[in-house]
Amino acid sequence: MKILVCIKQVPDMESKFKVAAEGTWYDNQDLAWRMNEYDEYAVEQAVRLKEQVGDADLTVLSIGSDKVKETMKKALAMGCDRGAHIADDAAWNKEPFQVAGIIAEYARDKGFDVIFTGMQSQDRGSGQVGVLVAEMLELPSVSTIVDFGYEAGTIIAKRELEGGIKAKVKVQAPAVVTCQLGLNTPRYPTLPNIMKAKKKELLSIPVAELLKVNARMETANMFFPEKKGGGLVLEGEAGELADRLISILKDKTTVLK
Amino acid sequence: MEFTREIYWNVGHGATTLVPMYLLVIVAIAVVVKMFLQRREVYRQGLPLNRTDNLGERISGMLVNVLLQKKVTRVKMPGLFHGLFFWGFFLLLIGTTLIVLQADFTDLLFGYKFLKGTFYKLFSIILDFAGLISLVMLGALFIRRYFFRPEGLETKKDDAIMHGLMTFILLTGFVIEGTRMAVTELGTPVASWSPVGHLLAQSIAWMGEDTLRTLHKLTWWFHLLMVMGFIALIPFTKFRHILTTSANYLFADRGPKGQLRSLDLEDESSETFGATQVKELTWKDIFDADACTLCKRCQDRCPAWATDKPLSPMKVVNQIGEAAFTNSEANLIDLIGKDVLWSCTTCRACQEICPASIEHVSKIVDLRRSMVLMEGEFPGDEVMTAMEATEVNGNPLGIGYASRGDWAAELGIKTLAEDPEIDILYFVGCYGSFDKRNIAIAKSFVKLCQAAGVKVGILGKEEKCCGEPMRKMGNEYLYQSLAMENVELINGYGVKKIVTTCPHCYNTLQKDYRDLALAAEVETYTVYLEQLISSGKLKIRSEGLDCTYHDSCYLGRHNDVYDAPRALITAAGGTIREMKKSRSEGFCCSAGGGRIMAEEKIGERINIRRVNMAVDTGAGVLVSNCPFCLTMFEDGVKGAGVEDKLKPKDIAELLAERL
Amino acid sequence: MKILLIAEYRDGKLLTGYTEQLGFAEKMGAEIVMFLAGSDSALPNYGGKLYLADASSCGEFNPDAHKKMILEVVAKEQPDMVALAHSSYGWDLAPRLAYGMQAAQVSEVVDVQDKLLVVPACNSKLRRSIRCTTGQTVVTLQAGAFKPVELSAAPQVEKVSMTAEGRVIFEGYEAAAAGGVDLTKAEIIVSAGRGIGKPENVAMIAGLAKALGGEYGASRPVVDSAWVEHNRQVGTTGQTVAPKLYVACGISGAIQHLAGMKKSEFVVAINTDKDAPIGEVADVLVVADLMQFVPIFTEKVQAL
Repeated sequence: MKILVCIKQVPDMESKFKVAAEGTWYDNQDLAWRMNEYDEYAVEQAVRLKEQVGDADLTVLSIGSDKVKETMKKALAMGCDRGAHIADDAAWNKEPFQVAGIIAEYARDKGFDVIFTGMQSQDRGSGQVGVLVAEMLELPSVSTIVDFGYEAGTIIAKRELEGGIKAKVKVQAPAVVTCQLGLNTPRYPTLPNIMKAKKKELLSIPVAELLKVNARMETANMFFPEKKGGGLVLEGEAGELADRLISILKDKTTVLK
Repeated sequence: MEFTREIYWNVGHGATTLVPMYLLVIVAIAVVVKMFLQRREVYRQGLPLNRTDNLGERISGMLVNVLLQKKVTRVKMPGLFHGLFFWGFFLLLIGTTLIVLQADFTDLLFGYKFLKGTFYKLFSIILDFAGLISLVMLGALFIRRYFFRPEGLETKKDDAIMHGLMTFILLTGFVIEGTRMAVTELGTPVASWSPVGHLLAQSIAWMGEDTLRTLHKLTWWFHLLMVMGFIALIPFTKFRHILTTSANYLFADRGPKGQLRSLDLEDESSETFGATQVKELTWKDIFDADACTLCKRCQDRCPAWATDKPLSPMKVVNQIGEAAFTNSEANLIDLIGKDVLWSCTTCRACQEICPASIEHVSKIVDLRRSMVLMEGEFPGDEVMTAMEATEVNGNPLGIGYASRGDWAAELGIKTLAEDPEIDILYFVGCYGSFDKRNIAIAKSFVKLCQAAGVKVGILGKEEKCCGEPMRKMGNEYLYQSLAMENVELINGYGVKKIVTTCPHCYNTLQKDYRDLALAAEVETYTVYLEQLISSGKLKIRSEGLDCTYHDSCYLGRHNDVYDAPRALITAAGGTIREMKKSRSEGFCCSAGGGRIMAEEKIGERINIRRVNMAVDTGAGVLVSNCPFCLTMFEDGVKGAGVEDKLKPKDIAELLAERL
Repeated sequence: MKILLIAEYRDGKLLTGYTEQLGFAEKMGAEIVMFLAGSDSALPNYGGKLYLADASSCGEFNPDAHKKMILEVVAKEQPDMVALAHSSYGWDLAPRLAYGMQAAQVSEVVDVQDKLLVVPACNSKLRRSIRCTTGQTVVTLQAGAFKPVELSAAPQVEKVSMTAEGRVIFEGYEAAAAGGVDLTKAEIIVSAGRGIGKPENVAMIAGLAKALGGEYGASRPVVDSAWVEHNRQVGTTGQTVAPKLYVACGISGAIQHLAGMKKSEFVVAINTDKDAPIGEVADVLVVADLMQFVPIFTEKVQAL
């Protein structure tokens, strides 16, 4: 069995963001980098699938500068067998269609049975790549899964819908699934596995070899959102704050009579 | 009249006495040697560890602890009972040795006798009282154990055997003395130099000489048999501690206190990290179990045990020993239990009080290392999240690393990257950098330094967590990567002196970072500020304050800094009302051992217990010296509902208010 | 400009998100057509043309079939834009349509500024305005971002027939764990975030909710920690709520949460961090320590 899991290195969302000079993306300075949270669930599920079927080869793929190899090493330490690093210093500027195009081009002839991606990235947040990869490879796809099972070529998954409702779906492999938060509990890599990961194959492929599609959109401008009008900030001693809040609520809402 | 007595009186000094007697001695000693050689094989299952360096100091340390009963007598009543019993019994041993020396060596070979005259008088009266004191102390210990047993004092067959045998040996000793004196010394001046024996002799003199002689002879042989039995039983019973606890003083950890063994993570041949089985601990960890007397002093002081958590340091030590002797393949983590191992706050109260120099904390950390490094397991998801946050942002709070130096913005201090010419590097720590409450302490400290004309620098966003909570939780890998980055950075700036306001940072930089070649001198802010005040560089207004003071585990027990903080409080005009548990007996706040990152799920909350102790003093302010303690106390006063009675404060705040 | 709106139908019911799509279309000043895989017994209130597929034959969730039907409508109507809700249905279907149409897809639109679509980035800490280079575009709209519009006319229905063929087999719904509370109907909600610190403090939040005569909810992290049961979770992965008053206690405001509560009429945020994203949607931000403020506030509300 061949499994592919696609991950992205993103800034920690706790970081202090600044808009870069060109005004279309965030500035890289002073950011801490980590694996996209959604992708951590994807890696964990891919590793669990590999452990379940036994005879499987699990590739982790990531697009970006050399820096993303650090994040890929975590995936290798979690249990991926090999890494495919698509070297691209301008990965930040690729829109989802291009990212999907690169992944699909890489995966096209490799016969992956299951492809895992995160449901979206924490920085760009478009939620398109996984489904687009499936479309490009003419594979079925299931997005936003919170439960995953595999038995004899059939994937049994649950999609998370609004209001806590889940949809049970079934699909034949090969297929693509995109993973939602809470799908599992991603493991903490053990030290022997961290050491083994250092020796695992991690090949870099220039992005030019795989990028065959053109961008369909671009960021015109990146900016900080305005505070909602009337946003009032109250500061001071707790008792006095409570009195002020009560008078505002009496004035502006109908709930306190 | 010659003041002496006939040795081997009534039993005879011929071959019929000496041959069976020395045969018994040889058998008893042979049993001890053979059994301990066997035990040594069990100890040897553990990893090697050099504990015979500085042998001279080790031996003198051992003698001090054995002969003066220094550690034993730290707990007043039972310590004194044991001490007096020991001294009595030890004198009896010396007395018996002198008798053997004279009768079977000096007199036999050279016709020289020294047990006579004034020396005999002293010898006689000292031994007489030594026997009495031993007997009385044994009685006291017996009553304590069997009639007024303190909670948690495990009492087994061993204890009964020991009490019984000791009592019989002492009683038969007096019977031998009494019968001998009844026949030979009644009415002579010699008798008054053995008052106890004299009393006994007077009360049994009616039996008549023949009966007394028979009784004497029988009792003599019975006494000899029991003494030899006692020796032979040493390896089989808790009598073992006579040898093993003494040896443990010799093999004791000579510090620095609380420094952990660094794992070699570069060693590609290692397949396991930390300990799961006995063979992955050191021989000393197994030996410790043999040195344990189950006195439960550790358990009595364990904050986890005191708040209904499953950890008893005594039990952990003994479970390791039991596994080593009965099932060395056993998985120690399953045997001891994960909740037990995660409960430890590494407060060191157990180790500090242990009369047998047992090292509890490192065992627990070794077992935790295996859980974390080999299984990726933590006491809860919140701890894993904190670990991951530290990997990403260099602090367990998960706050963006770039804002680490923001707190200092308005203080006019620079980072070393901006200006490396400084008097001291202030290693701020995560809480001082990010937590609003503790930022106030960081600011106070800087203001105090500035008032004393000291030029302070910080590392700002380059500083990373010192790694202490991660290391104590068992995550040696994360600790070492954080530590290496910090050490490289600090050495790179050529820093001469570092001051910390966090005792955890202090202990880690001062001790653990030495393995990674940190060059700078490291000082805690309490000692540093005390020097600034006493040298007159820092002037503090004295302003009355009624407070109590909490010794943090890492400034107190781990570094023996008890007086400097108290001197600072006094200099600030404070009067300290000491809590029930203070100084080396201080009670942990709950946040050590990486527990600051973990939810306290079992039992009563340790911080609330401690806050209530502070409330009991009647003081309105709880002064501490550690950001973790302060955090726990701020929570604790809310949890205990005493916010209006008790205000937690750090020493630095106290001083800065009085600038 | 012409926009094809994709309405949503689940478990035998028409979802009301289409009214926000109408609001978006109105803001864009566009001509509207609509597609629904649903039932003629639950039609949207909208006077325009509605392509209606029968969900009972094509399936409520069947991405392959829905994609094929919509692409046929697209071929016929030639819209400039296809708009869906940014929901589990919308974000699943949108990339499939975009691929089929060779169109750019803009996800989670929150606003339109200078004719450019605006989307959030980095957990809503930032915004991006997007310029598309394709003739047609597919967009998904963030819940609550656009003002709902109800048009009280019946649609002109054109039926679309379709078989149920598809590679993803839908096997039914699994209800949320029962617990009896329905936050979607609550008029006042007080929600707890990680900022409450520990599970014991849920009681304090519940106490305030009771004093105000409302229900208490929680953010996802709090539910994940099992401090509060799942059916009280507010956010895209829990309940999307629209109370008259929403009080966010110790909630920093992850985008999933903001999207789930921003329809609230009046939002009060209580937080120690002035710069937390929740401040962005709050009408009043109380900068205070929860443990101090909430008990006092509760007491004063009770005294009213």
